[in-house]
Amino acid sequence: MSYLEDDLRKALRRTEPSEDFVDRVLARVNRPAPPEPTWWELLAAVLRPPRLQWVALSVIVSVMIPFAGVQYRQERQYRAKGERAKEQLLLAVRVAGSKLHQAQKRVLEVGRMDTRL
Amino acid sequence: MREYPEQTAQGSLSAFADIVREQQGMVFGLAYHFLHDRALAEELAQEVFLELHRHLATIESPRHLVFWLRKVTSRRCIDQTRRRSFWPKFRLDEVPEPQAVTREADPLLSRALARLVASLPEKARLVVVLRYQEDLDPADISQVLDMPVATVKSHLQRSLAMLRDKLARTVGEIAI
Amino acid sequence: MKTLWILTICVLVTVATYGQALDLKNLDKLAAKANNVTDVTLDGSLLKFAAKFLSSDNPDQAKVKKLVAELKGVYVRTYEFDQEGEYSESDLASIRGQLRTPGWSRIVGVHSRKDRDNAEIYLKTGGAEPGGLAIVCANPKELVVVNIVGKIDLDELSELGGSLGVPKLDFDKPKPTKPSSKKDD
Repeated sequence: MSYLEDDLRKALRRTEPSEDFVDRVLARVNRPAPPEPTWWELLAAVLRPPRLQWVALSVIVSVMIPFAGVQYRQERQYRAKGERAKEQLLLAVRVAGSKLHQAQKRVLEVGRMDTRL
Repeated sequence: MREYPEQTAQGSLSAFADIVREQQGMVFGLAYHFLHDRALAEELAQEVFLELHRHLATIESPRHLVFWLRKVTSRRCIDQTRRRSFWPKFRLDEVPEPQAVTREADPLLSRALARLVASLPEKARLVVVLRYQEDLDPADISQVLDMPVATVKSHLQRSLAMLRDKLARTVGEIAI
Repeated sequence: MKTLWILTICVLVTVATYGQALDLKNLDKLAAKANNVTDVTLDGSLLKFAAKFLSSDNPDQAKVKKLVAELKGVYVRTYEFDQEGEYSESDLASIRGQLRTPGWSRIVGVHSRKDRDNAEIYLKTGGAEPGGLAIVCANPKELVVVNIVGKIDLDELSELGGSLGVPKLDFDKPKPTKPSSKKDD
């Protein structure tokens, strides 16, 4: 065993993270999933025109600040969830379209090979 | 052999916490020696344990658990460096010369060595960390990293030569 | 030598496909071995919720919005592996078994012995339940399974070629082949 390898073992020995590491891992494990939007939230998203939505929001913020704070957070969570779902949908369509395309391309290649023979 | 994986599979958080306490030194150590950034290493280690929690039902034994943790940590280390250039890439010859130290001044030498290791190319760095932190032999490293054994040995050989050369310039000839 | 067999080529304007979602739980264990995993599960209200966030002003998203209007679910699993042999035919047995039940028809089956690539497309038609489209693509280092439940227009899905990263496919004009230029010795 060389001195260098001994020194490497000392330099690279296992190292402990911070003291509350386990607590932080458990906190993330226990973090609840964001709530599913209720049926009226979905309906409101369809029926609420954008302009009125911002007017209503500013009235709420100016008149009922505590409630506005909660409502704003819920709104953001709702939109964030919607954007995530949208991205997943686009990804799924991209994958499906791509694989369909690949299979069709192979089929066409065979068709061309057959006509060249 | 299947005691605590089964216990945690039944949802016992305290059993999972025991696993984290038991293995955190290994997981965090791997990440820290690879990334040489404490905050980033903690974040990466947390992600590894969260992934473990999601896949706990697939763990078959304590030995499998350790293998799984090493494999996933190694993979995430490589992904981390590809995702963003957080760790500035520099060649060994650009690393500032450590102060001349005697063999007795271990902490300085250890710190210098750790910095030199952190400047190795990614795959070589992982091989060295797995070899000297975890005391794995090349066959085990090859399984963890899905790398041919010959490649593992080549990484080890070249990395040791580079480290030896760099250290020799400061502390004199390294006795092998 | 390439081994190629094609069962049917169906370019249908609209395929009213009927069926339930495939059970893909058998594939979950592959996630631990895979280097990259894509897992999309959008059913019922979540699919409609996602579609609401598609912009009608963006032409590509508007097309997707139209495509998914009558769908009941979209499920995608992709697994990329660092090395071969991380999954086997037995992992796909459960899915292929479901696709052999009455109502499912394989409309395209492409197999390349040279590249060890398999691609299969299945449709489920008829019946009162929502329909189904399934795509299973397997090569030594990648496995892709797509299941779409509901009424889907294959033409519209193909028309997304060129947008969303889906390559455009030219059905009509075969590319002219360059004359071979053999060098004389």
